[in-house]
Amino acid sequence: MAFARQDDDARRGGFRPGALLSDEKTRSITFQALTLAAVVALFWWLVDNTLANMAARSMSAGFDFLPVTAGFGIGFTLIEFREGDSYWRVFQVGVLNTLLVAVVSILFATVLGLIVGLARLSGNWIVATLARAYVEFLRNTPLLLQIIAWFFGVFNLLPRPRDSVEFGAFALNNRGFYMPSPVPEPAFDAVLAVFVVALGGAIALQVWAKRRREATGRLFPAVRVGLALVVLPPLAAHLALGQPLGWNIPALKGFNYDGGVSVPPAFCALIVALSVYTSCFIAEIVRSGVQSVSRGQREAAGALNLPNDWTMRLIILPQALRVIIPPLISQYLNVTKNSSLAIAIGFPDLVSVWMNTSLNQSGRAIPIVAMTMAFYCTVSLFVSLVMNVYNRSVQLKER
Amino acid sequence: MAETHAETALIFQPKPARPAPAAASGPVAWMRRNLFSDVPNALMTLLGGYILFVVVGAVLDWAVFGAVWSAESRRECLDAVGRAGACWPGVAEWLPNMIYGLYPKELVWRVNLGFLTLLLWIAPLFMPRVVSKVNIGVSAVLLFPFLASYWFHGGEMGLLWRVFVAAGIWGFVWVWATALSEQFAGRPIGQTLLAALGAEDAADADQRRILRIAAALLYVAALALTLAWRLEEVGTRLWGGLFLTLVISGIGITFSLPAGILLALGRRSDMPVISMLSTAFIELFRSVPLITILFMFNTMMPLFMPEGTDVNQLLRAIVAVCFFAAAYMAEVIRGGLQAIPRGQYEAASSLGLGYWRSTQLIVMPQALRIMIPAIVGNFIGLFKDTTLVSIIGLFDLMSMARAVGEDTKWLGLFIEPFFVVAMIYFVFCFAMSSYSIGLEKKLAQGRDRG
Repeated sequence: MAFARQDDDARRGGFRPGALLSDEKTRSITFQALTLAAVVALFWWLVDNTLANMAARSMSAGFDFLPVTAGFGIGFTLIEFREGDSYWRVFQVGVLNTLLVAVVSILFATVLGLIVGLARLSGNWIVATLARAYVEFLRNTPLLLQIIAWFFGVFNLLPRPRDSVEFGAFALNNRGFYMPSPVPEPAFDAVLAVFVVALGGAIALQVWAKRRREATGRLFPAVRVGLALVVLPPLAAHLALGQPLGWNIPALKGFNYDGGVSVPPAFCALIVALSVYTSCFIAEIVRSGVQSVSRGQREAAGALNLPNDWTMRLIILPQALRVIIPPLISQYLNVTKNSSLAIAIGFPDLVSVWMNTSLNQSGRAIPIVAMTMAFYCTVSLFVSLVMNVYNRSVQLKER
Repeated sequence: MAETHAETALIFQPKPARPAPAAASGPVAWMRRNLFSDVPNALMTLLGGYILFVVVGAVLDWAVFGAVWSAESRRECLDAVGRAGACWPGVAEWLPNMIYGLYPKELVWRVNLGFLTLLLWIAPLFMPRVVSKVNIGVSAVLLFPFLASYWFHGGEMGLLWRVFVAAGIWGFVWVWATALSEQFAGRPIGQTLLAALGAEDAADADQRRILRIAAALLYVAALALTLAWRLEEVGTRLWGGLFLTLVISGIGITFSLPAGILLALGRRSDMPVISMLSTAFIELFRSVPLITILFMFNTMMPLFMPEGTDVNQLLRAIVAVCFFAAAYMAEVIRGGLQAIPRGQYEAASSLGLGYWRSTQLIVMPQALRIMIPAIVGNFIGLFKDTTLVSIIGLFDLMSMARAVGEDTKWLGLFIEPFFVVAMIYFVFCFAMSSYSIGLEKKLAQGRDRG
């Protein structure tokens, strides 16, 4: 009877204080309200303290410092930067440098990781063991240690410019790494135009070949023909127009190299350390991906008498990639985040020029920290968005 | 018909046996199979062998055969062998600093005693007949830090700190009493104690009362001990080296597991507010690099606290590391929770278990077991990541190694200390990952058998 009456009470909307904790639905609302109140109170307290502290130190939280002259130089920039430029420009320089380090390291790390991962799968005992030792040693030591060791132990000990290590048009010394830079003449635009047209043709060819294969089952060597289409006509145009692309080759002038493009030793150390460190994790991802394809798949392909390279291309890789891609992307994200360690060797990435130098100069802790975090959050959100789209496209389509 | 059949059938001509294979086992066969199966493979073997020979030879030449073992300064080393050999005396001179930082030499025994206490605390986990291993492990995580904090820091104890340090002493005594009782008498410490007091046959309520009084007496004794206990203060600015690295990563690891469990449960919760808050926390801390979090706490924590509060720099770093580690751990544990089939939850609730009981008894043990490799991998990552505190100016192992080359006597000596530090990290991380692989295999055995 008592239970029935309680139910009636609840149905009629009668309120009993006990229901706040005993009834499942109300209890959930109680908990959430309490949590929210606690979080709001915590934030209130933090904001209140911060405002009081900032008032006491006469600090300001606005973004009005962005157009102000920063007043310091930056050693390596992708866009033009002079000492009188604004803080906003400093931010741009930092973002671009971070992205450059990330992209270059990702390229090298992927290639190196692929090689080491396949070496770990090798049937040859010595090769597999060497690859395993490489992976185990490098991934069990801190990245920061590796970056600093490459910087102080290798790139700082290189000879002076006068005795630099030269290979062809490239030179390496304790001031940095020097590469030739391309100098296009006006006629080079025509070569570029031919290239763009050829690329469009190659893509159209791929689409046509795929459609024909699906309709008739007949194969067309679209990849090879497409490659030839992309490479040969622009090359012919280039030669016909009298090679309208010059190279600015770095040469020793006085105490240092002049011409071409150069990157500082800190950049080299960062790239090498990041690529080598990340390649270990990529190698493990590649290995586990290939091993995840069950033996039966390979045997079934053999039973169908597929040649080896077809087995790899049509059977193993598509299935392995489904396992490999998601952790691979998260490694790429890690590279981007790890590039922030550049600060330890003085390379001007976002954290170094923005969160360190600019923050100390301007004292605007809150906007600067917020902008830095916003940049990294944006990158990470963008990547996870791409990931979700990819995951949906490769998911097992079950009926 | 029958006769001819019989005739042909009777003439039995065995085929000659095939010759035995050259060797199916033994080193020669192994080499033929794994190193020289065909020409490309043999070439790879030769190339790999050459690389191995060159690398190992170069390292040995540098680190052992061509190294200088006694010298007064780097100048002497360079004069003797140049850069071709390692200069170990510099590392040897700095080794105490690399391990203890600037901790006063005459007080270093306190650090050693602290880590010895930890080893003793967890030693019962390796005794075969001890059954309260979970409680011992939990006590090591929850109570040992209080005891260690006083060993390491010393100084004047406030009332609150005294209460906790006493709890630490109490825990240590309880662990060893339990371990000895279970290992040698084969029964819980409570029963052993009652037997010793001759109260085995007393009523249940009385027995419980006796045990409670014993525990309280022990606590009072521990509290009395803390009153008599006075250690010289060693400020955290003097902490450094491997010691500091272990303190920061130890606290980070200890904090990350429970906090990660709560955050993961929060993210999967049906309550939208809780789930949203947890998700926001996790995603924020996972998407930015640790160094920005360290910078943020380093510059902002003094602003967040009420005016006049002095936030120790070590504390700022520890808070940053803890938040970061908790967010990463939460995602690992969420992965484990997602792998638990729905039927487990339904079975638990059909048994009448509520949310917390089913989480504690059914879901979490399975989720944690699946995720052991990932959890240990996370611990390893965190241990390596603590090197970043050197960037905000704490003297961890990494910055101590860097300091060697900045000492005027050993100016420019970088590679050797880095090599030693790399070896230290390698030993710790490799040991952890090997232990986790072993544990995983052991647990898989139990599951596969059932």
